[in-house]
Amino acid sequence: MAVRVQFENNNEVGVFSKLTNSYCLVAIGGSENFYSVFEAELADTIPVVHVSIAGCRIIGRMTVANKNGLLVPSSTTDTELQHIRNSLPDTVKVQRVEERLSALGNVIACNDYVALVHPDLDKDTEEILADTLDVEVFRQTVAGNVLVGSYTALTNRGGLVHPKTTIQDQDELSSLLQVPLVAGTVNRGSDVVAAGLVVNDWSAFCGMDTTSTEISVIESVFKLNDAKPTAITSTMRASLIDSMS
Amino acid sequence: MSLYNFKKIAVVPTAKDFIDIILSKTQRKTPTVVHKHYKITRIRAFYIRKVKFTQQNFHDRLSRIIQEFPKLDDVHPFYADLMNVLYDKDHYKLGLGQLNTARHLIDNVAKDYVRLLKFGDSLYRCKQLKRAALGRMATIMKRQAANLTYLEQVRQHLARLPSIDPYTRTIIICGFPNVGKSSFINKITRADVEVQPYAFTTKSLYVGHTDYKYLRWQVIDTPGILDHPLEQRNVIEMQAVTALAHLRAAVLYVLDPSEQCGHSLEEQISLFESIKPLFSNKPLIVVLNKMDVIKPEELPPNKRALIEELEANCTKGNVVNADTNSELKTVPVMRMSTMTEEGVQEVKIEACERLLGHRVTEKMRTKKVDGILNRLHVATPTPRDGKARPPVLPPAVLQKMQKTAERETRKRKLEREIEVELGDDYVLDLQKNYTDIDEEERYDPIPEFWEGHNIADYIDPEIFDKLADLEKEEDLRMAGGMYAVPKIELDETMKEIRDLARQIRNKKAVLKDESRLVKQSTKPVMPRNSRARDKGRSTSKLRDEMEKLGVDMSDTQKAHFTRTRSRSRSQSAPRAKRARTDAAPPATTALARTRDTLGVRDAAMQRRAKHMAHVAISKKTKKMGLKGEADRFIGTKMPKHLFSGKRGVGKTDRR
Repeated sequence: MAVRVQFENNNEVGVFSKLTNSYCLVAIGGSENFYSVFEAELADTIPVVHVSIAGCRIIGRMTVANKNGLLVPSSTTDTELQHIRNSLPDTVKVQRVEERLSALGNVIACNDYVALVHPDLDKDTEEILADTLDVEVFRQTVAGNVLVGSYTALTNRGGLVHPKTTIQDQDELSSLLQVPLVAGTVNRGSDVVAAGLVVNDWSAFCGMDTTSTEISVIESVFKLNDAKPTAITSTMRASLIDSMS
Repeated sequence: MSLYNFKKIAVVPTAKDFIDIILSKTQRKTPTVVHKHYKITRIRAFYIRKVKFTQQNFHDRLSRIIQEFPKLDDVHPFYADLMNVLYDKDHYKLGLGQLNTARHLIDNVAKDYVRLLKFGDSLYRCKQLKRAALGRMATIMKRQAANLTYLEQVRQHLARLPSIDPYTRTIIICGFPNVGKSSFINKITRADVEVQPYAFTTKSLYVGHTDYKYLRWQVIDTPGILDHPLEQRNVIEMQAVTALAHLRAAVLYVLDPSEQCGHSLEEQISLFESIKPLFSNKPLIVVLNKMDVIKPEELPPNKRALIEELEANCTKGNVVNADTNSELKTVPVMRMSTMTEEGVQEVKIEACERLLGHRVTEKMRTKKVDGILNRLHVATPTPRDGKARPPVLPPAVLQKMQKTAERETRKRKLEREIEVELGDDYVLDLQKNYTDIDEEERYDPIPEFWEGHNIADYIDPEIFDKLADLEKEEDLRMAGGMYAVPKIELDETMKEIRDLARQIRNKKAVLKDESRLVKQSTKPVMPRNSRARDKGRSTSKLRDEMEKLGVDMSDTQKAHFTRTRSRSRSQSAPRAKRARTDAAPPATTALARTRDTLGVRDAAMQRRAKHMAHVAISKKTKKMGLKGEADRFIGTKMPKHLFSGKRGVGKTDRR
């Protein structure tokens, strides 16, 4: 189920929220419209938590998370950290990391088992990441971009990467991540897929500008609504070709 | 999102309005006052400006019209042809061409009269020349009256044309009048085309949009076409033909076997045969409509034979002959009823599928597709280890999925609903969801700092044990010599360099301190009471030096160099008054005594006076809270007694 959302007229929903299989973080905005979209969809099953990081709303880009844990940058204040600890289930390990590349969400992409990280990430951060989130870590780039977190949206069922990723790169990444991958866009052709899309194993939220073709690609690669990734190469192929070229 | 937007063409005024607009603009935006006693060049410039300004405005306005109207050679052939059909290409081109000529004529008139104005020798003559120039320009415009009205009509019509994108996925519906084309478009789109039971209800092209396979499809409803030669076709029919000829679209040819439309089946099939060339290279579908009235099986045998023959031709691929494209060769014959909506969706899907297939094969031939091939690829992982990485679906999610399958409604009260309910009183409650903490403890305020300690540092109960462990580990490391700095051996040159560097550093520090001591202020100092001295330059010194060198300086009492002031004017300004030679010089050049002792008898009196002054001043400053004597205070800015009442002559100050 992919839902179209906007955060205060902004389509980059991945910037203002973080979604995992065991909890969801949402930025504190001027109104509750954005929060309640997530609330309506998820609150019955997982906690949906208002969070700010260092007083900012760009929590999706500052943090990295999966069902096992949450990493926040060193700029997070003590009260914010305490609030996060209070709100999340005890099984989730919350850890603050001293890292030069403080926008952790931009430099790390992960699901519950594997993570891709920026090649220049600190060695210590890599260890903390592996321990806290319980993942295997690979230093990689996506379509020549070091900001793997921005250009990859990942779940345990599939992944969406930068639209310019070559087929070889896709195959290589897919073997590392052990999930099917597709190169695609969100928000009517935006290539920063992680900024325009938050997704977990059973739900997805994308920007208001996302076209129906893009949504159908998202649904099939992340296997939402019983869709299959193979649909992209079979039933949807004609409409994809016609809409993209 | 159409490429062609004819709605933005500016209004073309009628000739009369046009002239009024321009002339009133000249009147408003150029100077209006001129007198005959002005210099003649000024008078000429005044009128030349008027003529030139008017000409410029005519020129701009006409250029704008000429530019904004679409050029028939530049627009898509579909639009070029449609405009030819609707507005007559020759007439249209001629109209714009004549406006262009008028523009040149006006330019020439202005040029001529400006030249003549340069010879104008009086205000009257200049004015007459200006009048003549503006009059001739207006006459030229008046002759364009018919043209302008025509162009305005064209503009209005263009603005109301449906915005058809010639490049997108398009389905064109065509056929005889009254066979149910408009009913079909109304069924599959929201176009809301008028449907009436008589021929030529649809008199122009209509556009609707429909969705299929995540894509947007443009559906064009055309006016009915009759079966006669192209030359005899009227404007309404020609629009349909234009659309068929120029748009690369799927074509639905609608037939009415019930003959309710007023044309026999033979006619309809013969029309199909005669406009066949228009269908080449396009996906085509033949649709038998009005199945609710009569089915082909119920038709009389001769009609049924016609339909069977048509169906046979279509499946054999004899219909569209010139085609090499195999997928377009066979033409499906489908049945539908727009009345009962039977078969309508099937027809739409078939048309979309065929067009999509056609477009994709066309696109696959071009290079464009290479760029997106990577996006049509699903990278499937090759297993690299035996580890299972299953998706994580909490049981609650699975339950919810089941519930939604059973259409259970949502019970939770959303935060947004609370926000709407409370309005401005709404405050986001962050603690509400701390489910692990008891209700009564949940809202306890926790200070950030307590007795000088950051609370967050002690949040872990075992923090001291952990710290002790860490310190013990650290001690062990230190004992093990992990942090011991290895002794670095220096060779001779290195030692020398170090030594030198230290000396340089010391010297620098000393210099810095010294300069700081010597120079109290960093700003340059300008002495106030004396001129900068030319150091060591004096007449006596000069004399000494010269004598030392052996020059005889004995007879130089009045020599030039003894003058210490220059004789130039700038240095010695002329005296303001004539020098006083007769009167005695003033007794003193400066006051002998200071002013505060003037008029005072003796020291005792002076002391007393000072005391009195001090008392008076301190009283005043204390009373009004002033800094001192010089602190000016105005109690009331506008004292009532000075500003109220009638004022007679000379009563401004005192009343």
